[in-house]
This record gives sequence, C-alpha cells and structure tokens, in this order.
Amino acid sequence: MPVLDVLKPGQKPKKILLLGSGGLSIGQAGEFDYSGTQAIKAMKEEGMQVVVVNPNIATVQTNPDPGVSIYLYPVETEWVKKVIEKERPDAIVAGFGGQTALNCLIDLDAKGILKEFGIQNLGTPASVLRMTEDRDEFAEAMRKNDMPVPPSMACDTLEQAREAVEKIGFPVIVRAAYALGGLGSGFADNMEELEELVVAALASSPQVLVEKSLKGWKEVEYEVMRDGEGNTITICNMENFDPLGIHTGDSIVVAPSQTLSDEEYQVLRNAAISIVNHLGIVGECNVQYALSPDSTEFYVIEVNARLSRSSALASKATGYPIAYIAAKVVMGFDLIELKNPVTGITFAFFEPALDYVTVKIPRWDLSKFSGVSRKLGSTMKSVGEIMSIGRSFPEALQKAVRMVTENPEGLSMQRVFPEQDGLLEKLRVPTDARLYKVLEGFRRGMSIGEIHEITHIDEWFLYHVRSIARLESEIRELGDGAGASGTDFVRNALADAGTQQWRHWKVLGFGDEQIAGLLLRHERQTEEVTEQLIQKGSLEARSLRQAQGVHPVVKKIDTTAAEYPSPSNYLYLSYGGQFHDPLPEDEKVFSAIVLGGGSYRIGTSVEFDWCAVSCSQRLQKAGWRSIIINCNPETVSTDYNSSDRLYFEELTLERILDVADYEKVVGCIASMGGQQPNRLALPLAAAGIKLLGHSPKTIDTAEDRSKFSALLDSLGIDQPAWTSARSPEEIKEFTNRTGFPVLIRPSYVLSGAAMNVAWDEESLNKCLEMAVDISPDHPVVISGFLSGAREIELDGVARDGKILTAIVSEHVENAGVHSGDATTVVPAQRIYVETARKVRKAGRAIARGLGLNGPFNIQFLAREGELKVIECNARAARSFPFVSKTVGINLASVATDVIIGTEPNLERFNEDDLPFVGAKAAMFSFTRLAGADPILGVEMASTGEVGCMGHNFEEALLLALQATGTGRPTKGVLVSSGTEKDKLSFLKSAKILQKMGLPIYATEGTAAYLNEHGIPATALAWPDEGGSDVIGAIKEGLVDLVINIPKSSRRVELTRGSQIRQAAVRFGCALLTNMEKVNAFIHALDKCPDFVKNHELLKLPPYQN
Amino acid sequence: MRQKCSLILSDGNRFEGDLIGAPVRATGELVFTTGMVGYSEAITDPSYYGQILVFTYPLIGNYGIPDLPVSTREPIPRGFESLRPQAAGVILTVDSPETFHWNSFHSIDQWLKDHDVPGIVGLDTRHLVHLIRSGANVLGRMEPESATGDRYAGDSIDFGRSKFFDPGQNRIITEVSTKEEVVLGTGSTRIAVVDCGVKWNIIRQLVELGCRVQLLPWDSDLTKVECDAWLVSNGPGDPTRTDNLRERISWVLEQDKPVLGICLGHQMIALAAGATTRRMPYGHRSHNQPVYEVGTRRGYITTQNHGYVVEDESIPDDWEPWFRNVNDQTIEGIRHKSKPLRSVQFHPEASGGPRDTAWILEQFVAGVGK
Repeated sequence: MPVLDVLKPGQKPKKILLLGSGGLSIGQAGEFDYSGTQAIKAMKEEGMQVVVVNPNIATVQTNPDPGVSIYLYPVETEWVKKVIEKERPDAIVAGFGGQTALNCLIDLDAKGILKEFGIQNLGTPASVLRMTEDRDEFAEAMRKNDMPVPPSMACDTLEQAREAVEKIGFPVIVRAAYALGGLGSGFADNMEELEELVVAALASSPQVLVEKSLKGWKEVEYEVMRDGEGNTITICNMENFDPLGIHTGDSIVVAPSQTLSDEEYQVLRNAAISIVNHLGIVGECNVQYALSPDSTEFYVIEVNARLSRSSALASKATGYPIAYIAAKVVMGFDLIELKNPVTGITFAFFEPALDYVTVKIPRWDLSKFSGVSRKLGSTMKSVGEIMSIGRSFPEALQKAVRMVTENPEGLSMQRVFPEQDGLLEKLRVPTDARLYKVLEGFRRGMSIGEIHEITHIDEWFLYHVRSIARLESEIRELGDGAGASGTDFVRNALADAGTQQWRHWKVLGFGDEQIAGLLLRHERQTEEVTEQLIQKGSLEARSLRQAQGVHPVVKKIDTTAAEYPSPSNYLYLSYGGQFHDPLPEDEKVFSAIVLGGGSYRIGTSVEFDWCAVSCSQRLQKAGWRSIIINCNPETVSTDYNSSDRLYFEELTLERILDVADYEKVVGCIASMGGQQPNRLALPLAAAGIKLLGHSPKTIDTAEDRSKFSALLDSLGIDQPAWTSARSPEEIKEFTNRTGFPVLIRPSYVLSGAAMNVAWDEESLNKCLEMAVDISPDHPVVISGFLSGAREIELDGVARDGKILTAIVSEHVENAGVHSGDATTVVPAQRIYVETARKVRKAGRAIARGLGLNGPFNIQFLAREGELKVIECNARAARSFPFVSKTVGINLASVATDVIIGTEPNLERFNEDDLPFVGAKAAMFSFTRLAGADPILGVEMASTGEVGCMGHNFEEALLLALQATGTGRPTKGVLVSSGTEKDKLSFLKSAKILQKMGLPIYATEGTAAYLNEHGIPATALAWPDEGGSDVIGAIKEGLVDLVINIPKSSRRVELTRGSQIRQAAVRFGCALLTNMEKVNAFIHALDKCPDFVKNHELLKLPPYQN
Repeated sequence: MRQKCSLILSDGNRFEGDLIGAPVRATGELVFTTGMVGYSEAITDPSYYGQILVFTYPLIGNYGIPDLPVSTREPIPRGFESLRPQAAGVILTVDSPETFHWNSFHSIDQWLKDHDVPGIVGLDTRHLVHLIRSGANVLGRMEPESATGDRYAGDSIDFGRSKFFDPGQNRIITEVSTKEEVVLGTGSTRIAVVDCGVKWNIIRQLVELGCRVQLLPWDSDLTKVECDAWLVSNGPGDPTRTDNLRERISWVLEQDKPVLGICLGHQMIALAAGATTRRMPYGHRSHNQPVYEVGTRRGYITTQNHGYVVEDESIPDDWEPWFRNVNDQTIEGIRHKSKPLRSVQFHPEASGGPRDTAWILEQFVAGVGK
C-alpha cells in the first residue's frame, strides 16, 4: 500500500520535497533532469504537491507548473533546511538528484533535520546510502552476503595506503570515497603513482580505497528495481565495449550485453538481486561488475543506490520508464500493482525484452581544454553522450559514431585525428579516439587477435569493427574507373550496385553521406572534399538506393519485443527488417518535426533540451502532432511523453529526410536544438524540406559572416572590424590596420584548433601555428576584440521581421569571457538607459533586416557610449530558459506560436515589472580534467549553469555563485592579481575582506601593493622560490577562496598562475579568475551579512503565457 | 554466399532469407521467444519440439555454442537441455559466423548443420511476431533453395509428406521422452521423473540437491516404480494428446507422496485432478514472465514456454491456484489444499532465464519424507 496513504478520500494532499542535482558537471549531467522530471510527473499523478530545490534553471524539472513549487537554490543543507522550514514537506526524495542530492540527504539526516521536522525519507534509508558510499562498509556488507569484491583496503592515510598495496600488489586502483563520477580515482603501477593519487584523493575525501586492479576484465552493469515488498527486477544489463579500467561514463556501452552466455547473464543477475535485497534498497539501484573474460568468475565493483546516468541510459535503451516507476515505488506502490505505461495492458513487474541493440558513446570535448590529457581511466572526462538503436551491432555502432561526432561520414570521416603514426601505442593507451584507432588497425590489416591482445576489447566487438573496415574498402573500390567527377562520379560508381549490395551496406550501418564521402575522397585523394559536395553526392546515392527499393523501416520500442500490442510512440529506423511497425493513430492533421540538440557538450546543454521540450509541448497544445528527433539519452525531450512521436535517431540529413518522407510533415523546426540542428537547416531546405520559422535566407545571412556584416553596414549598425583571411599575410595586414587584440576563429573547427585571442605579435604567431592550415580553402575569420567592453545580450522572438518581445541581459564580466561562461544578470543592472535604448533599436533593425521569424539572440559590446554587434543567432539561445524563467514568459513557447502561426499570449507581460533579479552563473568541471588550466577565455569551458533569484542583484549573485561552488569564504583568501589596473580595482574588495576578518594571503607583488595601501596581507612565495609558498597554503587549507587574475586573458600554459589555479581546483578551493566577478562577489558578500538567515525565500512564479 | 531459404506460412505469407544450418526442409508451428540469451538452451528444449522457433532478439549466436558432440549421452553438459536440437528450425535476424567466447566450440550455423537443422537469417522477426500474435496457430514450412532432404524428427512423424506439421494435432510426446529408464545421481532421496520431454536442468538441480533421479519413459508402468516423490516433467504439445497418461498421473496423485509438476507436467496434474486445459492464442515464451504467489504481494520473474493453460474455473475444490500471471491473470501454478501436490506452469529450473523460483525445486526436495 502507498506509504503516504494519499489515495484515501478526504485526506489533504501530501507534500514531497524533491532534491535536484544542480548545475550540469562532468559525472552529473542531464540525466537527472530526465529522472527528476519523470518523478515529478509520477508524484503529481498521485495528487502530491511537489517542492523542488534545484538551482539548475535550464532544466525542464524547474518549470513552474501547477502543483510544483520551484526553489532555485543551492542543494546544500542550509538552503534546503530553509525551504523545509517554509514548506513543511511530509517527505523527501533524494534518489532523483544524483550524488549531490544524496550527499545533501545524508547530511540532513545526520544533522537530525529530517527528524526535527518529521520528514519521511522515501526510498532507500539514509543509513544504507551511507554504507554504499563507504567503500569499507560496502565491501564488508558484500562479504557478509557472500558476494566477491576485489581485494581492497580502505585507507585514511598515505602510510596505510602503502601498507595496503604491499598486501594486494600492483597494479591497484585508488578511489576516493564519497565522490561522484570516480573523482580522485586512478590506477597506480608503482609506489610513485600511488603516492600522487592518494595525496590528491585524501585532499577532497576523508578516505581512499586501494583495490586490486582488474584491467582487461569485462565490465557489466545491471539496473535493478526493488519495491517495498521485496519484489525485484533487473530492467536491463549493459556491457562495456571497453574492458574494465575506463570509467563507465567514459566507456562505449552496449545494451543488452552481447558477449555473455545465459549462465553468465543469470549469475550476475542473481547476484544483483541478492545484493539489492540484502541491502534493503527501495527504488532504483545500479550494480557494476567485473567479469572474467574466460570464466564465470566475477567481482562486485560498485553499487549506486539511486537513479544514475546508467539508469537513464537503461530507461532509454529499454523503453521502461525507470524513474517514473521508481518514484511510484518509493511512494509505496508495489511493482505488481503498477501498470507498464508503455503497453498500458501489462504491468511494471517484468523485465524488458529488447529486439534491437543499443550503443552509447560518450562525448568528450577534451580539445576545448588546454593541457588536459586525452587518456581515459577511472576518472570520468566526458561531458555528454548519445545512444543509437539498431538491429545489428555494426548498424548501431555506426549510427552512434555519426551521432556523437555530428559528422555524417561517421567512422569513415577524415581528419578527425590526423596523426596516424604510433598506432600501436595509441591502441594500447585508451583515449577518446581509440575506436577510430581500432578501425585504422583493421584498415592496415591487423588481425582481431592482434588488436585484442593490445586493447583487451572482446573479439566479438572487434569482429564487427573489422567487417566495417572491410566494407569501407569494398565501397571505395567501386570508384575505381568510374570516370567523371563530383556527383557524377558518385552516380557512376554506384550505378551497378544492386538491391542486395545496398541492403548489405545499410544493414552494416553505412550512411549515404558516408558512402558518398568514401567515394569522393577516394576519387580526389588529397584534394578538398567539401561538406556540400558530400551532401550532394549523398542525395545521388539516396535516389539510386531508393530506386533499388532499399529503405529503412520504422520500428517501435515497446519493452516487450512485440509480445503485446503497444500504443508506444517511441520509434527508431533500421535496415534490419522489411516491414514498418503500425504507428499510433491520432486525429491530428498537422505535424512538425522538432530537431533536438544531440549530445550534450561544451556549448550545447540542457538549455536546448528545455527549448525543444517547450516547443513540442506548445505544438501539442496547438493541436499539432509533434515529432521529436534526438539521440541523447540524458534528455527530457527523448522521454516518450514529451512528444506525440519520438524518433530516437541521428540528426543527419539522411535520417531527417527519411522521417520527413515517412511522416508527411508540414515542416521541420531547426531553431530549438542549438547549433547542430541549425547547421542542418540549409541542407534540409536545399533537399526540399520546409523550414518552419526563420527562412533559409534569414539563417544563411545570420550565419554567413560576410553577408551578416554587409547587412549591418547597410543598416548603419556598428560592428568590430573583421576580415576573412586566407593567408598569414592577410592576417598581418589586418592587425597592422586595426592593432591588437584580435579574435581569431578558424572557419571550421578541427578538434584541437579553437577560437583564440591574440594580444600581440607573439601570441598571434602561436595562434597561427595552432590553427594548422590557413589556406584559400580554410579561411580564418579575424576580428577586432574590444577589451574592457561590457557585453549585453538581447533574447527574444520576432515575427515577420518585427520583434514581439525581447529581453536585455548583461554580463558581469567584461568582454573576453565566452558568453556561456559569463555570469549574466536579468534585468540588466548597470547599463545606461541610452545603451539599452540603442540595444533595442539595433535589435529591431536587425530583426527587420534579417526578416527574423522565430527565436533569436543578439550579442553586443558596449564601451564608452559605443555599441557594436558581435553576432546574431537566428535560433533559440542558451540563455532562453534563464531569461524565460526570470521574466516569467516562456520564450520558446512564444517562438513556437510564431513558427506555427498562432497568436502568442503576451498580454500580461511587462519586463519592467519583475519582482526580483536573476543571476546565471557557469558551472565548471575542472576538478575532473587533470592538467587543464582552469582559466576562462573566448572559448567556452563550462559544462553547465545555474540561475538563482534574489531580491536584488547581490542576493542573486551570491546564490548563483554558491550553487556553482563559490561560497562565502571562511578560512582565508589567496590573491594573486595581474595588472596594476586589476590591483587597483581590487583595493575596495580587499578592504571588505579585511573588515570581514578574513586573512589575506597574496603573492609577493600583490601583497606589497596591498600593504602599501594599508591592507595587511601575508606574502607567499612562488613554489619555485622556496619558503612558505602559495601552493602549500592551498594544500594546507589556509584559504578557501583563490583569486587569480592572469595578466592578460591569453592562454599561456604552465605559467606560475596556472599552477595556482590548478592547485585551487585540485584541493577544492573556490577559484575566481575575473576581477569584475571578484569585485561583484565580494561587494555582494558585504551587502548581504548573515545571508542565509536574512534572505527571504523566493519561489519561482508560473509563466504568464 | 549463403543459399536462400523461404519461410512459407499457413496463412499464405511467404518470406525469403539466407539459410544457415543444414539445407533441409522442415515444418512446424511458428512460435517466438523474447529471451535475449540462452539460445542453445532454447533450441534443445524438448518443449519446442515440432515448432519453428523465432528469436525476437536480433543477434543470436554471439557467444557461440558449447561443446556437444553428436555422440553425447547423459549427463548432458550445461548450455543444453537435451541431447540435440529439438526445434524443427530456427529463425533469426543476424547470426555470428565467428565466435570468440571462452566456452564456444561451434558457431550456431555450424552446430545446426552438424545436427541437420535448418535456420533462416535476415528475416524481419518482429514482423513475424506481429503475424503470430494476430493469427491463431500459424504453421510454417522452411524450404531451402536447394534442399538435400527433410529434417529428420523422429520415426513417427513424416515432415516431408504433410505440407504443414501441427504439433497440436499430433501425439509427439513419444519423440522427446527417454526410450529407456535412466538413473542419475547417488543421493538418498529417490525422485521418479515422468519424462514428457524433460529439460535437463531439472535433473541437474535434483542431483545437486542430493537426489537419486529415476528418469522414466512417459509410457512406463508407474505402479511398478519405487520412489519417495514424483516429478512430472515439461514437454511439448497438447496435454490432452497423451494417451492414458492422465489416468496414470491420477494414480500418482493418490499415492500420498510429494508430487511436483512443471509446465506440461503441471497441465497433466491439473487434468489428472479433474481440471481442463485450453490452447492460448500465442502462448508465453520468454524469460520475463511475471507471476505472483496467490494471496501475497510477492512476485517472481520466470522463464516460460507453453501454448496451453489450465482453465481457471475448472480447478477442483480440493485444489487452489498457487501462482497467477501478473499480466493476464492466467493460472501459473496450482496446489492441493491438504496434500503435498503442487505444480507450476513456469520453469523453476530456468536455463535459460531467471532463477528466481529455484526455491520451488529446493522446497519440493526438502519436503520429501516429511
């Protein structure tokens, strides 16, 4: 029976407090928006009132819907307690908010707060959670249950770790307790490596575990659900393509397992059920194993007693709504009384049967971080992932590669990792590029046995990679003697391909663009093959293939492998079949495709998913059939009830055309999912798909630097000087004319080459070296860069060139910090009325000039009365959810109204009438990126963001910064400020710190400057100068805030400043590297004494549209 | 290049795929299983005798087939439920021509070839499931492009002659039951197993639980058997097409010794107790069938493989439902209200599939002599 008895008539609805996971970071990403959103839905269905604490403003779960109270506050005990005092919830759930929520729950429990307020913890008891987190207690519990765990010892000191390894023997793995995503973990082959790992781990965790290394064993996971009656099911198992040794978040994962026999499958399944029963888990749990590659011997590696990234993946891989059912279970329902919502006629107590295979590939953006190692190991480094579905392993694998690289040529693409020498070494050391290296090995004729020997990847997986390599060369050979060139060449080469051949290629997952690319690159050898040419070639290939009667079929994911009829709308396309599944029927006349954002990555995150979901919901409300195409398992948009039909599919021209052909849609919405769908807009339009919203011409003009610039000139709107340079000489010519600094953008972004600012001749030369090849084919866009300017954004919606609504926001940091990394405020606080007027005026002119018809974002620079336009995005922007929730109007919904021609409801909206101020701050994951210099620049580096509301700017800023790890310092502050100007501007802040009684430590120059101005500061030496040094002060915990302002924003690796910054990150200090942000923060600390106590909680009001 | 092989259905549908296994014709009832592992166990499960087995999981053969020489005798190695493939033929989407698992000795293709069984790959198995589900009793016939003969499936059945073989219309129990009595295990608890096509894991588990198992041909004279308890095994086909087995099981039920029935054995016990059975539209064949113990909120995930079911309203007064299916509420087990007589429709011995109900065999053995 339900624990809370809400079903009894006459009882007042109970209130449940749901803890979210905060800003997205490596190891804790969008999956918790998905699980939290499903939980809220499940709870609302039972008539519960839900109170959400989560500062992640860009999530769907923080939508202020009826019955849900949203508190955008840090998920930390002091703030959650305040919410508890105000809302007086009956119960709390933490299992849907990742490690952050669990840690908070454990703390609330330990501090007696749950008891004090009579709050019931729904789900797994806090004591059990604590036990699964404590490696030693966990291992003990496993042994008691006769479950094998790898020989290991928990150590509190380095000395103990040394002793442990003497008993266990190298190689060992070192893990930190209480850490998300394997933070502070690593392999050690010798004493030196051991010491380094243990010292770092002990800095952030009270305990480390030294454990026998099982490198080369298979890694297998089971997702388990248990209800209060003890009914237990395993929803899915998953097998890692990579053997044990790579964090599961960084592994290619296949579901269900492929190389396990029934015996192995059942032994591990039984063990999982036994563990979960033994621990008394209620709800969802994940069990990870190491399985011997040549026997049924296994070890239990880890148990996560909560929803996790794996459970989100398992949910999407099976169709089983794990979080939704888990929420019902923690409310007290039995699995045998809950319906399986996917079939509507069967029950939640069963184990999904898949009739397809799924492959997850992580998305790494390591090239975005200077200095970071590309090696993969036990600390997670990926920032997102995709999942593909196919009816053969090569089909799923090849789809997955196209999804994650956003390159339709997929595994056959060129130039991804241009260096091909030292292949064996690259195979041996796992990196983000290993799959490509494996393929390259087969291309060069290596055998399955050889590659297995080096990589330990199971031969079954390697066998399929080899089959892809073989087929690649078969396709290439078709080009021999085909004559003609370009698309004619593609046509000639493929002219004789028959049905059977085409079918074979497609069953093995080759894409049309991939086939065209293989042929064209074979034809042209070293000559440039453009994206456009490949697209055209692929359309040739497509029509030849269709003429042979080879089409993909639409299949359903229904959790039962078609054993029961299902109205499921969860679909995918495959060549592993000849018949379409019957689709769900409805009365709707109009339908539109909404393109999602694909993998989360630096620059595209949960905010675009929020846009896509808002758009889909709006379409449905207007009576349209909404069809989502997306491939990211961590999203709400890929929840089966976010749309009328979900195609869990590739965001490629080929696949979108397939869906559009099949679905007979009115058109396609490419402006909601961020950069990737936006890039597909013009090719789609060229292939005959109607773009809904902005016209192709609008998109083209906004995207094409020259056309946009010409438009601004014609409108008389100022812009920074720029040019498109085709040679180093042209660049020099430009800098001679405009001077430094300049911003350099390669026209296509190779992994490795990125945007950069050149401050002088020397840094320009360095940038040019990094940009590899500037040539007439690869021009570089170079533009004047205003230092000291303020950055302003205008987010809004226009219809037929007229702005319907637009909101001005402002960056705290001066220009030079990427807008995705900047701290943003709405409404703008410090800009002149005249500047705001100019911004709006320019916005109106641009909207008219471009003929904007949908969502847009324009970025401006303002300095000394000048206003310059940086760029205009003719699509929804990252800032949309933040701006929407702050002003109370859902801009993505308004934009959807415009796109489908319905009248948006903007009557009650008045931007001047905001009850509070919103601040958005970026969330960084430098803690996981060993070697990366945690410094901000023009290239975005944050992995997530938060947005908090305050009664004034200072409150909002403090909350947002606390939610991203920069809390009020209590121990001391270390300052190392760059220029004279920075030092001067810091004086006022220094006085505040002094007034607050915080000891100030500083590097020598800065200390001298502060002392000169009457502020006591302890001078510390640089590490290489001996004496008591800055790094030591950080290590010893003398400070909890590090302020390090680089002399300029140039990226100089391994400077002394970089050492300070990396030390701050490694030893868990808050780090600020921008003086405007520092001053705003310290000023806010001063203005808000006793902040937690004095602050009056703000609940997010509902949208007005 | 593999040769083509057609699948012709009794409803007129015809599909073409690639042949694996032996180039022989075969016919039987078309059934599907949704289990994702355990294909060698399924194919050798005697309950699939006379049926063409469609695997809904598209990748079959990934971990190969363990060693099972054609000449093997009891005890049967793990991974197999009888001495030979029992299904008339198999249909799947993709096989693995090369295998790498530590316990693999053959590819599924080679193994089927060695045992003279045809298979088809490259068919849209999900579509076949739709057809099986919508039309009751779909029969099929596999026709290789250049067939060398017919699948030999026992002396009493001539597949070659009938266009479509319907296991439901024939007495097939003879073909799967042991021809002579076999004794296995050395334990003190004597269990007599009436072999209607027993899955070998039942024997393995009984032996592991310390039993001496006496495996009896289905048509043995049961009154001559000396034992401490009885087990009526699983098997293929219609429980009413079993000659006088029902009457002989009725005698067993009267001996006041513990009796356990599994699958067909469960249906036989129900019939012997006076209940009736009926054919289901498309049966339960998978590793994920949820059952619950009647009167509790406790559920178990079970392996099932049956096309007939005990009719609810026919259960006599001195018996009661023990388990029911969570999804369709059909009878999944019955027990006598006062005597140690029990039977289950599902497979507590699993293999392949979940082992959640292994306790039923343990409880059965523990109850012997008490």
